Amino acid sequence: MKTVEEINERIKDGDAVVVTAAEMTALVKENGAKKAAEEVDVVTTGTFGAMCSSGAFLNFGHSDPPIKMSRTYLNGVEAYSGLASVDAYLGATQPNRKPDIGLEYGGSHVIEDLINGKEIELHAEAYGTDCYPLTVIKTQITLENLNQAVMLNPRNCYQNYASATNSTDETLYTYMGTLLPNMGNVSYSSAGELSPLLNDPYFQTMGTGTRIFLCGAQGYIIGEGTQFATEVERKNGVPITTAGTLMLKGNMKEMDAEYVRGATMPKYGPTLYVGAGIPIPILNQEIAQRTAISDEEIVCQIVDYGVPRRNRPIVKETNYHELKTGAIELNGMEVPTSPLSSQKKALEIALKLKEWIDKGEFYLTSPVEKLPSKGYTVKPLEIQKPRTLVKDLKGETLILAHPNDAINEVAKKMVQNNINHLPVVDDNNKLLGIVTSWDVANAVARDKNNLTDVMTKKVIIAREEEPVDVIARRIDKNKISGLPIIDKKNQVKGMVTAEDISRLMGGD
Amino acid sequence: MKAWLTFSPKIVSNSIISNLIKNYDIDFNILRADITPEGGKMLIEISGTQQKQAAEFMEKEGIHLNPINKVVKKDEEKCIDCGACISLCPVKAINTTEDWTVEVDDLKCVGCNFCTKSCPTRAIWVTE
Ligand code: SF4
Ligand code: SF4
Repeated sequence: MKTVEEINERIKDGDAVVVTAAEMTALVKENGAKKAAEEVDVVTTGTFGAMCSSGAFLNFGHSDPPIKMSRTYLNGVEAYSGLASVDAYLGATQPNRKPDIGLEYGGSHVIEDLINGKEIELHAEAYGTDCYPLTVIKTQITLENLNQAVMLNPRNCYQNYASATNSTDETLYTYMGTLLPNMGNVSYSSAGELSPLLNDPYFQTMGTGTRIFLCGAQGYIIGEGTQFATEVERKNGVPITTAGTLMLKGNMKEMDAEYVRGATMPKYGPTLYVGAGIPIPILNQEIAQRTAISDEEIVCQIVDYGVPRRNRPIVKETNYHELKTGAIELNGMEVPTSPLSSQKKALEIALKLKEWIDKGEFYLTSPVEKLPSKGYTVKPLEIQKPRTLVKDLKGETLILAHPNDAINEVAKKMVQNNINHLPVVDDNNKLLGIVTSWDVANAVARDKNNLTDVMTKKVIIAREEEPVDVIARRIDKNKISGLPIIDKKNQVKGMVTAEDISRLMGGD
Repeated sequence: MKAWLTFSPKIVSNSIISNLIKNYDIDFNILRADITPEGGKMLIEISGTQQKQAAEFMEKEGIHLNPINKVVKKDEEKCIDCGACISLCPVKAINTTEDWTVEVDDLKCVGCNFCTKSCPTRAIWVTE
């Protein structure tokens, strides 16, 4: 019906009709896709979200005498410099090497500071060669005096992404933000109907070479992103889970910090908020219809991050309309929701892109090669060595205490068996609590005789079916030295201690 | 005025609160309550002309009053309106406007610091 060239002619003449994806949704609802396709030339989309898989190639130029940088630090954040002599790739999620700064200022913050024109301390080390004799450099750089500063993001703009909740009774800190215990909140990350890849779900218009809005500059799609997938479940034409992704490129020297921001997800680490907007040329009625997708029609799953496995259980299927109301019903409770990606900025970006096109400052491109629309799945990384589950741990003889046991008997048991923890169980071997040697010492010191008074009743446990690595993290996180193993019937099967785990891990 | 009330189990069954509302010109709003057989803790907001008298009455009845005078502040330059903080606020002091701007209501804030610890750009903090 229309071609990209024809649309560009109209942009040049100032006649192109450009609307945002949200406006298009209303337009098609009112007048139908046929009429909308005739009237509208371009639909603009936008998203502003935490995109961990981002970074920048920097070229520092040659010093005199020259150096072949093999380790490079920018404001204390390591950039990978195993490419030639003065190039480096700075990854957004790289933490600071100074332990007192750590996650608070990482790669993403350096990127933001560079874009803001701030001075950055460059520290480079090298082994020295005949042609590159210098072995260390400490100097200041700015974006302006770099030869190139190219943002190159391997995986941005997830087509869709599950929302997160947490069923456990402790707060979890994840890349989906802080998740309150007992499903206390839900966080979602997609811009919904404004999101670029939900408006062209079969990639009919975009691919390598598509010019886009990237962090306030004109950038490009350079191909499918990593973990790109097409063979996924769809509803109303759009994937209900993660699917397509984009690899993006843009010139940092033209970027605006308004649309790119360094951030730190608490106790998770640095990440980069990337602003991206993609124009969709309305070449025919079908494309028009696709861009009319509404928040209500885009399905999103809520998954339980309380289960730290690759396949997390799905708690509920919902849609972005419901998520954006600010609350959602989960198991009969009203649970507040948080967007995590800025809906406000997403719209600002779609409007900015529209403004550029309206003013004739931005022209569309036809992709050199469209993104693949079928045949892609994401392969998992299988860990070669079989995973050790808790039940595979070689159990020692099970030593237990009962609520009526005398404290000195319990102390004796611990000393005789050289152990520090003793699960306290009822007559059916069901767990009631745990006593440690510390508890026992305390009881003796305070003249307490009743075991139930000194034991800890809220016990952190390990289940037989859980992988040992998960338990290692639990021990670490709760700063405990051992936990009882519980089977499906809630009976105590043994103890796993920090030493057991480090012995196992050390054996690798 | 916002305050934490702590009281012993004996008081739990008494109808101090209903007397309070009956006898003083105040509005009483319970923001959070955690009451167990061992006693209780309650976060309240009192408004009206007789706040001071009401507070004295409660102290007399054995309720310990701990007023909160913390306020939440947000750096609008740093804030990216991501909304991560919204669902963490226990008293719904953080909301979005029509155009998805994130706003905090410092009158509602109880200074719990949930939002401040979770803001990806460290744009929000609590002061006295
Ligand atoms: S979490 Fe921080 S950046 Fe996000 S909306 Fe709240 S205050 Fe703003
Ligand atoms: S500190 Fe933040 S989360 Fe806590 S009450 Fe105040 S605004 Fe809400």
